[in-house]
Amino acid sequence: MDLESYKKTWENQPEETKSVSKIDIYKMAHSKSSSVVKWIFIIGLLELIFWSGLNLLVPDSYIKVYTDFNLVDFLNYYFILHYIVIALFLVLFYKNYASVSVVDNTKRLMNKILRVRKTVKYYVYYNLGGFVLVTIIVNSVMFSNPEILTETMNPQHLNVDMNAILTVTLVAQIIVLLVMLLLLWLFYKVTYGTLLKKLNKNYKELDSLDDLN
Amino acid sequence: MQKDLESKFLVDFEKNQNIVHKVCRIYTTNQDAHNDLFQEVTIQLWKNYSKFRGEAKFSTWMYRVALNTAISLYRKSTRTIKTLDISDVSYKVQSLEYDDTEEQQLKSLYKAIQGLSDIEKALIFLYLENKPYKEIAEALGITQVNARVKMNRAKDKLRNILNP
Repeated sequence: MDLESYKKTWENQPEETKSVSKIDIYKMAHSKSSSVVKWIFIIGLLELIFWSGLNLLVPDSYIKVYTDFNLVDFLNYYFILHYIVIALFLVLFYKNYASVSVVDNTKRLMNKILRVRKTVKYYVYYNLGGFVLVTIIVNSVMFSNPEILTETMNPQHLNVDMNAILTVTLVAQIIVLLVMLLLLWLFYKVTYGTLLKKLNKNYKELDSLDDLN
Repeated sequence: MQKDLESKFLVDFEKNQNIVHKVCRIYTTNQDAHNDLFQEVTIQLWKNYSKFRGEAKFSTWMYRVALNTAISLYRKSTRTIKTLDISDVSYKVQSLEYDDTEEQQLKSLYKAIQGLSDIEKALIFLYLENKPYKEIAEALGITQVNARVKMNRAKDKLRNILNP
């Protein structure tokens, strides 16, 4: 049987018998959405808050280390710049989110949803990059002043192998960074992976059509 | 003003709700998921109704919002049954009273459509609903040429499922 005859069958199918009443439509229209866009917005917002809040958690003891190494000014300038960038990301994130419209054509709609997600992704890259950069700068300043470093880390002048301690400090920092990256990667796989799997697949299918010509 | 808009929306929606039901039947495989998707489409329609200026027909606008919600916004319910046999589809037509062979055909058609991808489903649905290529291409955001190419592939795939 050819598709045209199935099309006739389709056209002849009767109206849904379990039709929804006006009251039920009203109730449904005013209920809470659980759309992908809404979840991406919520998770994205939490991420923006989480990463900008992380910087406030620097313990007081670090301040002394930074003072000893004359790093306070550098870090203050860095944080001013950092918060300007965060503000820009917030604006961009909201603008991208607000531009998502279900009335758009399918391809543009998916593109815009993915753009909201990408804003957050770049924000996280920026934070990780900034974190690594600052860590490298702070470490190089500290390690290029071994006298101050020894003084700060061993103020009582105990008889310990300073080289060993410094190596351990460096290795510990690298391990913490790697563990953090692994946890982040897992977090993204689980949250965005499940949320966007279908959307990514559908978008690729539409987008690949352009390669045909 | 809001009340007027609301009552107009309810009238428009109730009259055209069959479009949404059909989209839900195509994109879901059980009654719970059907209701879930129906609700999400309703929310999206109402959320955007104030921006609907009547340039297009309400039904045309409804097709777009319903398909977009199914393809892009709706997260498949965890209750969704992965594999499907004919009895799972029967809920879709069980309450429809009409010719037996037509009923069988409609069941096979719905079942076959489940074997298509989300995008292919949209194309086939718009083809079955007699929409011109111009409208199909515009709705999906692809060129008419690409819409034709993709449609032909989707039809071939559907034919193969229907007549193995």
